[in-house]
Amino acid sequence: MSDNLELELAKLIIDFCHVEDVAAEDVPVDAPLIGPDSPFELDSLDAVEVVVAVQKTYGVRIGGEKTSREVLRSLKMLAAFISQERA
Amino acid sequence: MKINFPHRQFAHCESGVTANLLNYHGFPCSEALVFGIGAGLFFGYVPFIKINKMPLTTYRIGPGGIFKKATRRLGIEIRKQKFSSPAAAEKELDRLLASGHPVGAQTGVFWLPFFPPAYRFHFNGHNLVIIGKENDEYLISDPIFEEPVRCSTIDLRKARFAKGALAPKGKIYYIEKMPQQFDLPGAVKAGINDVCRVMLKTPVPLAGVRGIRLLARQLAKWPGKLGEEQTILHLGHVIRMQEEIGTGGGGFRFIYAAFLQEAAEILKNEKLLELSSNCTHIGDLWRDFALLASRVCRGRAAVQDSFDELASLLRQCAVEEEKLFKNLHGAISC
Repeated sequence: MSDNLELELAKLIIDFCHVEDVAAEDVPVDAPLIGPDSPFELDSLDAVEVVVAVQKTYGVRIGGEKTSREVLRSLKMLAAFISQERA
Repeated sequence: MKINFPHRQFAHCESGVTANLLNYHGFPCSEALVFGIGAGLFFGYVPFIKINKMPLTTYRIGPGGIFKKATRRLGIEIRKQKFSSPAAAEKELDRLLASGHPVGAQTGVFWLPFFPPAYRFHFNGHNLVIIGKENDEYLISDPIFEEPVRCSTIDLRKARFAKGALAPKGKIYYIEKMPQQFDLPGAVKAGINDVCRVMLKTPVPLAGVRGIRLLARQLAKWPGKLGEEQTILHLGHVIRMQEEIGTGGGGFRFIYAAFLQEAAEILKNEKLLELSSNCTHIGDLWRDFALLASRVCRGRAAVQDSFDELASLLRQCAVEEEKLFKNLHGAISC
């Protein structure tokens, strides 16, 4: 994983969602964050945790027409969204 | 045959379908604007009506309401049809497509093969626009997907005639005629008044601010009344209805805040900007509720203490919403 923000986000998710046996460095940036193919094994209940963690850490609200379904598709999408909102 | 239909992805199916149809017919608008004019925001908790064996909990008005109210308030002529026969339903759909009409349809999500398996649950209130047919496949603009999708005739037939709660009965709807002029400020005001009325003055205690208070009272009793397993299922259901099902988060409160921002400009009323910010704050409160609830479901929070806190958060939402809609009503009445 090359991008610092993506790595930071992987660590944040592992921490907030109490993910075990997953190293942040090993998570592919394009892998889905939520659903059966998620390397974090997160489901829709965890999505709330991720959304709130992102808001508290980066001051960026995921909501309205830009939905969590869209933004939480991968670490790459989430990082791009945060960078865009903070620009 | 394929209609040149501009597909856009949105948070919620019905407001997305309505916005896409209006854009196609020459009325450029956002999803938030359609949601607000259509008075989409609501709260209802109806413990004696079950959806997937769970009490009906909704943060928006019933299926079809947003399209109906938004088009009526903008003076747009529409046509809706239901069918008892799938063959007749298909024939009419094909006729409309051949005559160049993009057609909105109510469907059951479970039968739509383009949905990932994890999202295919029994919900019959999903809306999409059918924009063409090639061989044995319909071309579909489903606003919750990034790109248009395809669906076989057989699968779409199953989805249009799904059984159970909110059975669509082949329902289709489309725009027949656009007006020469729109009274946009009038439509925006009517939408706001409607939401204020249902949230503050609904006579039954199941809806609006009173419905939120009812949920708070009942939820506090769930651990003792339902047992742990059912309590977790009930709580999970409330969060899903709030944060998923295309609500845009916070039970549609963030989308409504975006609408109030647009309304401020349309009505030249700066007070609405302040109320938009209050509405976002209310969305955050709902999210605090969802966060604690998801932790309870995950076993990361003590059950009884958490339920008292969850009920307290709901009461806080009710207080803030009561204040918001009273102020909103005042802001557009003066």
